[in-house]
Order: sequence, then structure tokens, then C-alpha cells
Amino acid sequence: MEVNFNQPQRQSAIGVLVIFLEMIFVLVKNIWPIIVITLLKAEDKSVWIGLLIALAIMVYFGVYSFLKYRNFTFYIDADNDEFVINDGIINKTKTAIQLHKIQQVNIKQNFIQRLIGVYAMDVDTAGSDQKEGNIKAISHTLALALKSKLLENEGKAVIDQAEAEVAQAVQTTAPFLKINLVSLLKIGFTSNYVKSIGLILTFFFTIYENLHQAGAEDLVDTDRIKGLVDGYSLLYTMLVFVLMMFTVIFVINVVRTLIKFFDYTVTKQKGSLMLTYGLISTQSTILKPEKVQIVKVSENYFQRKLNVLEIKIRQAISNEKKDSKSLIEIPGCNAAERDEILKLLFHELPQKGEMMLPNFRRLIFSVFLIIILPLTAYFTLGKFVSPEVLEYQTGAWIYALLMATLLFFGYRNYRLFVADKHIIKQSGAWDVDQEIIQIDKIQAITTSQLFWHKSLNIGSLTMHTAGGNITFHLGQFDQINEYVNRWLYEIETSNSNWM
Amino acid sequence: MTDFTNEKIDTTQLPRYEAVPLTALHPNYWKELLVARGLLVLVLTIALVSALIFIEEFIDYRWIAATGFIVFVVLLFLITNITYKKKAYAFRTHDVIFRSGIIATNTMVIPYNRVQHVALHEGWIARFFGLAKIEIFTAGGMSSDLEIPGIAKEEAENIKQLLMGKIQKQL
Repeated sequence: MEVNFNQPQRQSAIGVLVIFLEMIFVLVKNIWPIIVITLLKAEDKSVWIGLLIALAIMVYFGVYSFLKYRNFTFYIDADNDEFVINDGIINKTKTAIQLHKIQQVNIKQNFIQRLIGVYAMDVDTAGSDQKEGNIKAISHTLALALKSKLLENEGKAVIDQAEAEVAQAVQTTAPFLKINLVSLLKIGFTSNYVKSIGLILTFFFTIYENLHQAGAEDLVDTDRIKGLVDGYSLLYTMLVFVLMMFTVIFVINVVRTLIKFFDYTVTKQKGSLMLTYGLISTQSTILKPEKVQIVKVSENYFQRKLNVLEIKIRQAISNEKKDSKSLIEIPGCNAAERDEILKLLFHELPQKGEMMLPNFRRLIFSVFLIIILPLTAYFTLGKFVSPEVLEYQTGAWIYALLMATLLFFGYRNYRLFVADKHIIKQSGAWDVDQEIIQIDKIQAITTSQLFWHKSLNIGSLTMHTAGGNITFHLGQFDQINEYVNRWLYEIETSNSNWM
Repeated sequence: MTDFTNEKIDTTQLPRYEAVPLTALHPNYWKELLVARGLLVLVLTIALVSALIFIEEFIDYRWIAATGFIVFVVLLFLITNITYKKKAYAFRTHDVIFRSGIIATNTMVIPYNRVQHVALHEGWIARFFGLAKIEIFTAGGMSSDLEIPGIAKEEAENIKQLLMGKIQKQL
């Protein structure tokens, strides 16, 4: 069967039914409790009203699906090499996708489509989260024909197979980097405190809640605890508690890191990297340097002393396997190994170029937002509403002091380094992160300036990549604009492959 | 081979995106916004008036409510007007520039060789005024996609064609 896709096509006529049933299905899924209740409690009269409403909805849906079907057309514009989809009854959208930008064409079937015997087709390009083209009802032969037409000029589908082959062939080569037990232990000791505290708290609360519900409070002898606390000073108990907390956090952290990243091996294969790790189940991931968008190197004070650091790599977000594969972690390598990895990913070691510092207003603003506002609220509450909260004043001051320290260091570490080919953003108070991007991986640039910052010549810069955004706040605006112009020039004059 | 030159680029002489004169949106877009906001205000007014008339407890607050509502409506239209005036765009040889924002002025630049695909959207109110919205998608996800509303339909078609042409050249 030869179909001319160059003429606007409708979906299979039966598509009306698919759209209709899908709408009914969604509606029923959302309001089934109401339906059940009315049916159970109903008198004759309300059943009739309900039926009438149902009928009205059916008619509305029917008309809607028909119009939706009538107005949905798709075709391949041969002159411009693009796939065009027209959609919408009242609000109309015309989407045009260049054929060579199409990354994937998926043919699939949900329950309703299987019942009716048609297929759905998704057309997907890089990046944006939603499916750009979605045809709801198309026969299998037609779908296959269209798919081959869409993918004709480029063997996109072949890439995935190539990837799989690489995965199998890798085992034989010698490892490029192996992270040993000591490094993993070091990482376990020095990172993810906040995450572990969260885990512990949830754990305790769940146990407490369960005990409470089982009525088993007697198990925990409150009198004895009281006696204990009275026996020693409050400070001592606190100290013991904090120490215990830290021990638990350390143990959990170390165990978690070991289980997750045990025997972390990086092997080099035809220009890509193969990562395998895990104690209980071994994970393996392939990393292609050209797909890398953002590389984040994190290090805190202890880690610097112990010479370990963590690397997180963000790849181009590609549809299905979005979150699981787009972020890759390499824990516990040392400075030399970091440089080796960066050299592999970027073909050269990213240099820290010109440095840009944030305006001091950034510090003042965050101090105001995080310390002054909450403290004012707290003391106003204590003074005018309920004086008893003021008993915890010490806590408030400790909070203020802690936050002030964090904000100060956060501000001091906040920097942007611009070199010829790379941009490095440094941030963080305790864990100092360095996010590295390549200038030719930038997809779009946004600058932003508050109107009262115009005369001060400060403003913000956001670089959008296919792996996420990087924003630098309150830098010198003239300088930012100069960078933007330079980067635009570089992006627009070269035709580099950004993924 | 002798034609080949490779001079150092003087970065201060590069074209400046911030100095490009931008095109304002079509005047009809203001009418479109007026109709859209007007419809919203109409619905709200009906709801408020019926609440004030039929619910006895509200009778004492009539004047306060009415004043508050009027202030809200005036503010709404004021803000709408500012957003309308602030939005502007420009298509350069190699990229598209769009400026927007009330408190902060955001300027977004997308080079044509990073555009994935383009869509033309006509809302039902916009259609009355012969306007369309151009949507430009990149691979950077939601935050780096661009919507330029309030462009005359024919012009929007031309722009779309231009963009598609620009994307194609990159092959």
C-alpha cells in the first residue's frame, strides 16, 4: 500500500472512537467515587438526573472527539523536509518538526487502542519534556510506513543498537579508573549528612508512630528516661545524643556508599566511558563524552584534606530514560583522577578563566530573607502573641549564627569563571560545587535585571543546556552582556555537535 | 589556501544583543489581552455581585468588597498593560531575541542552530484579531523554550518559514 504522506492526512476514522473512549476513561477514573455513591444512595429521581447528565456529557464528548478528529491532520512537507501537525478546535496549533531533528518515532498501543485495533505514534525530538507529535489512532501498516518515511534520511534508530554492542564488547579492556575501598570509605564519612539525617528522622518517626498506634508506649519507660536526664546535666545528655546521632549517620552513610558504589570501575571504549558499580546488584552505564552537558565537581573541607571528591555528570535529557540515566555519579576520586576524567569528557582540562564575583547585595538580600525576616517574625510572635515561645531564644540565636556563617561562606565561594571554551560556576557553603559547561553546549541564554538594579549595573545570567540550567546572580551586567555577545558569536559561527 | 585568514577577533566589536532595537507586539494584542481579562473580570463580577446580593451576612461589607474589587481590577489592567508594553522581540540573522518581565527585565536569546522545532498557535480570541503566537522549542527543556505572542498571522507564518529555513541550513 503506497500512501502519499505529502497530503494532509487524518487519523484512522475509528480514531474518533479512541479519542471518545479515552475521554470517558479519564473522566470515570477521576469521578468514579461520585458515581458509585449516587448509584448506592440514589432515589429514582436522582438516577434520572444522573442519567441525563451522563447523556449530555456523552453527547458533548462525542461532538468534541469528532471535531478533534476532523481538525487533526498531519503530513510531510517535502519542500521543506518537515513533518507538520495541525491540531485544535478553537485554539489551533500548527507544529512543524524538521525531519532531521526527529530522534525517535515510537509506535505503541494502550488498552483502548488494542481493543479497537489501532496504534498510537509518538514523534520525539531532543529536549523538551512533552511529546511533540502524538497521533492517537493509525493502522499498523500506515504507522510503519510513516515511521520509515520520517526516519528515512537519517539512521537514528541504529544508534541505540550501536550503544548496546559497545556495552557487550567492553568487558575485555583494562579499567581506566578503579575506585578503591579507602576512597569510598572517605566519601561515606564526609558526604550526604543532610540526606542521612532526613532518613534517620523518618525512620524514628515511623517507629514512634507505629508504637504509638499499637498502644505500646509502656515499652518506652518515660519515667526511667526522665530519671536519667535528671541524673546528669541537660548539656551532657544533649552531647551524648548528638554524638550518638553522628555515629549513626556515619555508619549509615558508609554502608550506603559501600553498597551503592562498591567496586566502581571506569573503562574506556571507543571514545565512550563504561561505568560499572554496586555490591548487591551491579549497575553499568555508558557515558558518551559528546552527550555530557554539565559536570559538577563537589568537595567539602574534610574531603579536601583527605584528597577525595565527587563528580556528577548530567547528560542530555533524552525522553524515556530521563532521570535514571541522565545523572551519573563518580564518587571518591582524587584530584589527579578528576583531571583525567575531565580531560576525557572535555578533550582538554577546563581552565578557570576570568573570574566574576557577585555584588555584595546578594549577601545582604539572603541575610534579610533567611535570618532577619524569620527572627523578626519570631520575636514579634513572642512579644505580642504567646510569650512562651521566647523560652527557646537560644535556639533562635544559634539558628541565626549558623545561617549567617553558611550564607557568608556561600557568598564567598560564589563565583563564575569564564574561559575560552568553558564556563565554571562555583557555589556552596560547605560542599563547594564547581559546575562546568562547554560554551558550545549552550542552547539559549537569558539575562535578567531588576529595574532598580539598572543604575547599579548588576544583573543575572542563565545558561540553558540540554542537561539543565546554570544561573549566576547579581554579576556586573556590562561584563555579562559582553560574555553573552561573545558566546552567541561562538555558538552561531560554529556548527558543533552539542549531543 | 592563500585566501585563508585567521585574525584574532576583537570581542568589543561583536554585534551587541542588548543594543538591538526590538519590535513591539502588534497593537491588536493589547485588544486581545483586554478581551481575555475583560471576560475574566466579567465572570468575577457576576460571582461577587450575586454573592453580595444573595448572602445576607455579606450585606455589611458591600462597600468594602466593591472598593476592593475595583482596586483589584484597576491593578489587573495596569499590570496587563505593563506586561504588554514590556514584551518585544527581534529576529537577527543568527538568533531570536525576546524581552519580557515587569519587575525584572528578562532577555532571552536563542541561536537558530539550537532550535529543535517551531509551532504556530492561534487562540480563539487571537483569531478574532488576526494574531498568532510563535512557539520556539530548543533541546534545553521547558525553561529555554520561547513563546512570542501578538504577531499578525501572516507575519507569523513568514517568521515560521524563516525559522524553518534557518534550521535547515545548519545541515
